[in-house]
Amino acid sequence: MDSLIKEFNAAYAAMKGDQLAETIHPDIERYSHKLRAIWDRGDLRSTTADLNFLFYQDKSHANLSKAEATGWFEIYLTYWKAVGEILAAEGLRGNVKGSWTQVYVKWKELTLLIIRGYSHYEFENWTIPCLYVAGKYLRLYAMRADAEKSSSNDDTAMTGFQDDFDPEAEENKQLEDCARHLNRIFQICLTDRAPLEESRKWGVYYAINLLFKTYFKLNSEPLSKNVLKAISAGRSDIPLIDKFPKSQQVTFKYYEGVLSFLEENYVEAEKHLTMAWLMCHRDAQRNLELILTYLIPCHLLTTHTLPSAQLLEPFPRLQKLFIPLANAIKGADLRAFDHALRDGEDEFIKRRIYLTLERGRDIALRNLLRKVFVAGGFEESKDGAPPVRRTRIPIAEFTAAIKISSGEDIDADEVECLMANMIYKNLMKGYIAHERGFVVLSKNGAFPGTNV
Amino acid sequence: MAVPSSDKAATTSEAKPEQKDAQQQQKKSAAALEEDDEFEDFPVEDWPAEETEAATTTTGGNGTTKHLWEESWDDDDTSDDFSAQLREELKKVEASKRR
Repeated sequence: MDSLIKEFNAAYAAMKGDQLAETIHPDIERYSHKLRAIWDRGDLRSTTADLNFLFYQDKSHANLSKAEATGWFEIYLTYWKAVGEILAAEGLRGNVKGSWTQVYVKWKELTLLIIRGYSHYEFENWTIPCLYVAGKYLRLYAMRADAEKSSSNDDTAMTGFQDDFDPEAEENKQLEDCARHLNRIFQICLTDRAPLEESRKWGVYYAINLLFKTYFKLNSEPLSKNVLKAISAGRSDIPLIDKFPKSQQVTFKYYEGVLSFLEENYVEAEKHLTMAWLMCHRDAQRNLELILTYLIPCHLLTTHTLPSAQLLEPFPRLQKLFIPLANAIKGADLRAFDHALRDGEDEFIKRRIYLTLERGRDIALRNLLRKVFVAGGFEESKDGAPPVRRTRIPIAEFTAAIKISSGEDIDADEVECLMANMIYKNLMKGYIAHERGFVVLSKNGAFPGTNV
Repeated sequence: MAVPSSDKAATTSEAKPEQKDAQQQQKKSAAALEEDDEFEDFPVEDWPAEETEAATTTTGGNGTTKHLWEESWDDDDTSDDFSAQLREELKKVEASKRR
């Protein structure tokens, strides 16, 4: 405890939030030696006595108010208890057996004390990295506790079924509890009324990102939307996002983009995801891959473009996911498209991009109809005027093309219906002369954006 | 992508049992990783513009802009094939109508 409080004093004197947060870091891999030393130093009584002396009698830390000292005293005492639980859960306390549920309970206590520091004990805003560490590990321990619970349930599931057992609610019990406390962290940051330079509002995006990750895991995206509403323009005077560290910006933009994506607002989604992509650290391969998983379907629908080989080159998983579809679209091959969609179905559904990709069939069809148009050649030009493509095309030609491409019979009415759809979606310009069995295409730009 | 399937089959059948186990193990952990599509924490909090993806995209290592997106349609030279195929299909349709 002695050395821990020395570190605390140093960080406090220098007002270094990150350094301060390190003193309550529970990462066993990073601080194995330190955590053991803290725990092995003494029992509850001697630790309490130590902390008592260090915070109340030792006057070497001048800039700590009495309220602050009370807050930190409680925090370190609880931290000490939490460290004991962590060591036990990791199996590092000899025959004392621990559990992640117990770790979660203690860490929650610690988190609540830190939140209380801001509401009751005059903690200043530069200390908010402590909130980050508390929130980050609260979520981690909640997930471990839930996983531990479900694996022990698996063992007993066969023997005792109960009628009122709700596996859904049980499965994420601690994580749901955790979400409530993360929300309190978010609120304590958001509602700070201090002037901006000393405001906890600088903690808002870190807290939001923790909430997003949690809500996504719990499949409760509507709650994420509530968070966005709470910070939307005019409702709060939090600093502009580009004033925050890039790690926070990229994470926020990713989740904001995915939320728009799930609402089928692809233009917005593309905007956010593109920002996340451009700002992401170039070595964060997994995150880049996740961004592209949603950005690629967005691009397909908004600009009708496909990822280049160069873009996909570093991502074998994305190649597997998208190349068969992209080739089918480019080759105007409806049968290959349907196959690729079916082959990837499970993965597409899991990533929640199936419905978006399915709409890519329109682009494959557009390419097919375009091929019919191009194959139609040119009208004979008069008086040396530049040749004009044949624009009156029998429905029968389109019918035949669709039959070739899909390998299935299709009747003319259905084809007309498809054509009407294409015209409605502005993928094709023209009109259907139903009685005469023709489609009359626009002389300039029959297929917008494709040079014909 | 370009690996011929016969090669792949050969290596798998020759692989020793313990190697197979290791492979399976690896596959398993890879699958577990895929399950978890959570955005990862960055090892550092902030970074300069030169380290962003935007910087690698615009310079591409050799000073050229990376070509990220391409048109979804293709003017390949098979359009003659296609029109031949199309004529063939139309003939068939005509023939079946006359019958």
